[in-house]
Amino acid sequence: MADTFQFKLVTPTGVLFDGAVEQVTAVGALGEFGVLPLHTNFITSLVPGILTLKISGTSFTEYLVAGGLAEVKDGVMTVLALEAEPPSKVDRAAAAGSVAAVEQRLSQMSMFDPGYEDAAQALAVARVRAQVDQLLRAPH
Amino acid sequence: MATLKAIRRRISSVKSTQQITRAMKLVSAARLRRAQEALLNARPYHETLKRVADSLLGSAPEAMAPAENARRVALILVVTSDRALCGGYNANLLRMAEETARRSAAAGLEPKFFAIGRKSLDHFRRTHAALDGDRINNTPRLATVGLARDLAAKVIGDFRTGAIAEAGVVYSAFRSAISQRPTYDKLLPVEAPQPAADGAAAPATDYTIEPSAAELMPVVMRSYVEASIFHALLEGEASEHGARMTAMDSATNNAVEMIARLTLEMNRARQAQITRELMDIVGGAEALRG
Repeated sequence: MADTFQFKLVTPTGVLFDGAVEQVTAVGALGEFGVLPLHTNFITSLVPGILTLKISGTSFTEYLVAGGLAEVKDGVMTVLALEAEPPSKVDRAAAAGSVAAVEQRLSQMSMFDPGYEDAAQALAVARVRAQVDQLLRAPH
Repeated sequence: MATLKAIRRRISSVKSTQQITRAMKLVSAARLRRAQEALLNARPYHETLKRVADSLLGSAPEAMAPAENARRVALILVVTSDRALCGGYNANLLRMAEETARRSAAAGLEPKFFAIGRKSLDHFRRTHAALDGDRINNTPRLATVGLARDLAAKVIGDFRTGAIAEAGVVYSAFRSAISQRPTYDKLLPVEAPQPAADGAAAPATDYTIEPSAAELMPVVMRSYVEASIFHALLEGEASEHGARMTAMDSATNNAVEMIARLTLEMNRARQAQITRELMDIVGGAEALRG
């Protein structure tokens, strides 16, 4: 059995990761899921959350992903993220501020307002950013 | 013949213009490099998304059909620059936009423009074209994910509510610093990929789709439209800087030529003046002797 598989993390501003990994854990529309080598062809949408790559044994890399798509095709996994950043680069304080700001904005909107979906998405991203430390999965 | 003083003034004016055009050329060259890099970085995202969208389209074609009773309107996003001094860059784009509008009209769709960049906004205001909105003063960078996201939200929103039946974007495809080609890309409705020339359709991937094709399709399409607009903005940005760099390079060369010509003229004028003065002196001496 193959021990590793190819994984690519792609964002509109560049390729953040391209290499072999043992396991990938991500948060999809239906909840958290893991991908191991020889996974079936599969595609799902991602919600804002943490993407964990197990490079080997005890070596992990994590990214904060602001939603997007995950695809497994012929043993290669590709994550198309709207935005992605390593947790070390997340500005937690600014995120906490924007959670409050977006919550305020959302409270004045109705579900049918044109900007509602975008605001809800922005809120989800801001929440993940603000709580990034609690969400990290890899052992430290 | 112009006086010596006038020619000198002219030369110094051309020299300062030359300094400006040379500086602008250098600035554009630096920005072009940055824009090209961004264009290259965005390519994998756009290409992968296109592949995924194409292979999914077969599973849920109805997810992206225009709304029922959609108004027969074609929205045309036009990506131009905010500033001038970039040769024929904007003029070529606007001609392409007008042409696209004529084609839409011929197909029975009412064309409406969305101006990105001050130059297109000014143009459409002048021609009293149907304008649906604008985004100008896109500084310091035109191609930002944020702008692409806003535009995609508008396009998809209008498409879903039936305010438009078609959407596309006119931008300048960057080929090299001296070659940019105005291009029209249709964004919506998304068409199924054309089978290859030999009749063999691209092999569709048999995916397990979660949660379901109908639910996933809007997400894919949204990302796809976003990436396509972002791609158009990036191409436009690189083209603008390329066009400006070329325009400023030839302006600088013209200034060099003009300075050479004026210097020659100035020397002639000076020589003529000296000769005239000498003649006066000789004439005066002759008169005294006589």
